[in-house]
Amino acid sequence: MTRERFIEQVRVEQEPLRRFLLALCSGDASLADDIAQDALVRAYVASGSFMGLSKFSTWLFRIAYNCYIDHCRRARAEEVPVEAASSVPATDTCDASFRYQQLYQALGRLPEKEKAAISLFYFEDRSIKEISAVLGMPQGTVKYQLSMGRQHLKQYIQL
Amino acid sequence: MKEIDEFLRENKPVVKDDPTFILEAQRRMEAVEGIKSEVDRQRSHGRKALIVALVAGLAAGVLATAVAFLYPVDVQSVGSGLLESVRVFLQTYRQYLLMPVAIIAISLGLVLSRGGKTAHI
Repeated sequence: MTRERFIEQVRVEQEPLRRFLLALCSGDASLADDIAQDALVRAYVASGSFMGLSKFSTWLFRIAYNCYIDHCRRARAEEVPVEAASSVPATDTCDASFRYQQLYQALGRLPEKEKAAISLFYFEDRSIKEISAVLGMPQGTVKYQLSMGRQHLKQYIQL
Repeated sequence: MKEIDEFLRENKPVVKDDPTFILEAQRRMEAVEGIKSEVDRQRSHGRKALIVALVAGLAAGVLATAVAFLYPVDVQSVGSGLLESVRVFLQTYRQYLLMPVAIIAISLGLVLSRGGKTAHI
């Protein structure tokens, strides 16, 4: 795949990708964009191995999710809790509205797999099959993660 | 649960429009162009080596099968040389020879068909 073609595809996918990572990073836009950039570089280097067996966006989201997981592992190793993102004071990179604060704080308390499943299903309108491909887990497990995520969010969010 | 469903669907995170995002991505891609070329070169090299190995395996398998079926040896009357030992081995197990040949042929087909798809990304 040429760089121009790759960038063309990325232009289409950049907003959903950044939104997915923004949800995973519990509203920390700066961190989400850093991970997105990292994911794009990794995807570009590996673009020769993209067989077209899945949609480009599914492949790209899977790489982005792996980058996010790598980031979480590094953060844990450095003893910086990932949940810290949800307590970051409101700046121009964080959505300061109460609703989003509530949402991001609740997302920040979810386990990574539940958060990813919830984000893809509700924010990106992905099917269970696509979520299964992005997260690398069986469809039954995706449904379970969604169900657990909903139950947890119901406890965390005051409606 | 319905309230949670509605809350999540109505409050999708909003990303701020950032025209520098793609520019930064392009800059980073240019910076790793050398690494990508090397990765692509190694992948291509590995693919060629795999195809050569599969073709060689297929040819050897077909040859062994042909020898076993066309030139049967009398297992009782052969000597103890290496070549004769190989012929006896092939003769003894000739009914199984087609299996590895088929496996190699299928593998070769898969490798070649996947290579075709890569070009259409």
